[in-house]
Amino acid sequence: MKKLVWIFSFFLALPIAAQAAGGPSIELEPAQNNLRDQDSLKRGAILFSNYCMACHSMKYMRYNRIARDIGWSNEEIVEKMAYNMNKVVDDVKTRMLPGVAMEVLGVEPPDLSLMARLRGTDYIYTFLRGYYQDENGKWDNHALAGTSMPNVLEGIQRHASAEDYAQAARDIANFMEYAGEPAKLQRTELGWKVIAFLLVLLVLTYFLKKEYWRDIKH
Amino acid sequence: MSTKVHKSKGVDIQRRKILTGATGVVGAAGATFLAVPFVSSWQPSEKAKAAGAPVDVDISQLQPGQMLTVSWRGKPVWVVRRTPEMLEKLPILDAQLRDPASQQSEQPVYCQNETRAINPEYLVVVGICTHLGCAPLYRPAIGSPDVGADWQGGFFCPCHGSRFDLAGRVFQSVPAPTNLEIPPHHFMTEHLIRIGEDPQKEGVA
Amino acid sequence: MSIKHSADQAPEQKKGSLLGWLDRRYPIVSTWNEHVGEYYAPKNFNFWYFFGSLALLVLVNQFITGIWLTMSYKPSAAEAFNSIEYIMRDVEWGWLIRYMHSTGASAFFIVIYLHMLRGLLYGSYKEPRELVWLLGMFLFLVLMAEAFMGYLLPWGQMSYWGAQVIISLFGAIPVVGPDLALWVRGDFVISDATLNRFFALHVIALPLVLLILVFMHIVALHKVGSNNPDGIEIKKYKNEAGLPIDGIPFHPYYSVKDSMGAVFFMVLFAFVVFYWPEGGGYFLEPPNFEPADPLKTPAHIAPVWYFTPFYAILRAVPDKFLGVVAMGGAIAVLFAMPWLDRCKVKSIRYRGASYKILLTMFVVSFVVLGYLGTQPATPELTKLAQLFTALYFGFFFLLPFTSVLEKTKPVPERVK
Repeated sequence: MKKLVWIFSFFLALPIAAQAAGGPSIELEPAQNNLRDQDSLKRGAILFSNYCMACHSMKYMRYNRIARDIGWSNEEIVEKMAYNMNKVVDDVKTRMLPGVAMEVLGVEPPDLSLMARLRGTDYIYTFLRGYYQDENGKWDNHALAGTSMPNVLEGIQRHASAEDYAQAARDIANFMEYAGEPAKLQRTELGWKVIAFLLVLLVLTYFLKKEYWRDIKH
Repeated sequence: MSTKVHKSKGVDIQRRKILTGATGVVGAAGATFLAVPFVSSWQPSEKAKAAGAPVDVDISQLQPGQMLTVSWRGKPVWVVRRTPEMLEKLPILDAQLRDPASQQSEQPVYCQNETRAINPEYLVVVGICTHLGCAPLYRPAIGSPDVGADWQGGFFCPCHGSRFDLAGRVFQSVPAPTNLEIPPHHFMTEHLIRIGEDPQKEGVA
Repeated sequence: MSIKHSADQAPEQKKGSLLGWLDRRYPIVSTWNEHVGEYYAPKNFNFWYFFGSLALLVLVNQFITGIWLTMSYKPSAAEAFNSIEYIMRDVEWGWLIRYMHSTGASAFFIVIYLHMLRGLLYGSYKEPRELVWLLGMFLFLVLMAEAFMGYLLPWGQMSYWGAQVIISLFGAIPVVGPDLALWVRGDFVISDATLNRFFALHVIALPLVLLILVFMHIVALHKVGSNNPDGIEIKKYKNEAGLPIDGIPFHPYYSVKDSMGAVFFMVLFAFVVFYWPEGGGYFLEPPNFEPADPLKTPAHIAPVWYFTPFYAILRAVPDKFLGVVAMGGAIAVLFAMPWLDRCKVKSIRYRGASYKILLTMFVVSFVVLGYLGTQPATPELTKLAQLFTALYFGFFFLLPFTSVLEKTKPVPERVK
């Protein structure tokens, strides 16, 4: 038993070590998004289309998959996210023409399909809200100094309430977490069933073992 | 001798059998569950399904007697604009056909009719021979040299010599068992056919 | 006793039965009896003895999920990353199969490290089991190569730069080094050619070697018989039938016990697959969610966790070539265990304090080095890594002397 404790404490130490393993230097604000909140995902999808897709793509997603997962019909998503310019089976591409970004921004805006898995939703939330103007009126970002990305949510920041502004960033982060791993909800919903089944089998094998080992006298 | 295997003494064989059986059954069920992801991962992927989405065909440029080919789910689909003369010949051939009323053949119910079409003028058909999957040739002319002098126009499969009329119906005494397959389709407008989707209830049927 | 009965019956199967027909043409019954039905294992196996069969279970998991992954994976620099996302998103259940494989890789090393530690605890490498240990060490070596090559395949940033760093190690070898590194890569940088050959090795060549080695490891073990937590040879005391008194047939006793262990392991495994597949950034590293970019190194490169103890040793030595030598030596020295440890007593239960202290020191330094290998190499941490590298090697250096002088306890004649 002592050994068991020893081994499990070793595995418990892993995530603690994991947290110590680096990351951005600034304190990230928790996004507090909820993948099960389909309204948030829908708002996030529309915000993503309006504020991100002018420059960024989400090439590993297709409109019909998004529609199915967040509760839209195929017609709805083409209307709300693609402004009837794309077919429902198309990949989510940027609306920027190829080569324009290099010319205007000097960088190629990254694809955002996996950004949430690469950096985490807290980072996205903090980054989106991290813009500030210095005394010369020049924009910069607390989370990523010197970024070429403009403060796309400036309009919301200026004209909406603080809660709505935070909610907008949260909805985008939520949608991006969904896009990072569309099977995530399916995974977590299946997991406990698999584990419950295995526990039943564990009980059976335990009694089977006990029954046979009655033969063995120590 | 404290360490013998005392198998014969005081063993509840019944209990042992029940436990072994129960573990076996639950374990086998688990193995079956586990097999499901591996088996179903061979189904067409989302990508394949997206590529197999309905395709729209513009037929405004299609002349009477002409055929155009489009790809739907990777299969050739023919759209033939039949002339009135072609349509007139269809009922005459019935006696020579294997399945003239398309009883045994694959088509949507709205195409199980004399001309195998929604609009008799336009035949939409999957261009794959029902015998072994070759692509038949379009031979609209009467008496086409490679088919025969009594040929009334239709499709001829060069692989094994199967023949179909201009409604894709198979002739008797050829290897192909059934008529050519008609895919689900409907007219979006007068000149736009959507292949791979049944007519909407309120749509043009 | 029914066991003896079945042993007599074995060669003469009923004439009409399928088994009898087969057995006259293929040694099914005798093979089964030799390795399962009448393989007598000590009756006192404890918790540590689960990890052998668990390693086999994980191997099967890796084979099956791996075969299924190759059905959708594309081994080319242009397509590899996309095809992984294709598996994760578009292939039905692809995400589950991939997570089972990626989690399986880490699980493999957890199981193998504990399996090896079991050997160190109970002296399973000692006479007559030296060859079992050596074959096991070769397995470990091939497994590391297998894991390393598999890690390049997702073609993410960590895949790319991790491979870049490790292959550059070959460049440290005097004279032939640079040419050797070039030859391994097949290009001037890690490229499509490297990915392709790593794929071939990962899915065909190395699994085949693993399979053969596993077979030999088990055959060698069954020839000499299993050790046990008391480190006593059970073959010393046999009954009238010539069977070890303290042994019990593997089947049904250990088959039911290992089944229980396997299901328990699967519960933990399922938990990770379904609720913790990234393993806190250790099983799947976040920078690997970005496609490989030969022009941009991630801020901090760390190998996957199971390589980090050796990686920390590499970095602890302030000389490129000697670092590589130290890292290689850290693995190579394990091969010599049967000859470095000269104590006659096998199990730690009856060994002197010196071995207990040394082994604890070794395990602690292995774990600490593993942690340090994941961290950026700051001067303080490098100092620490040097200290624990010294302790790691200290174990092997001191053992030949302490094991002779060791004050052991009397070993009982029979297992408890």
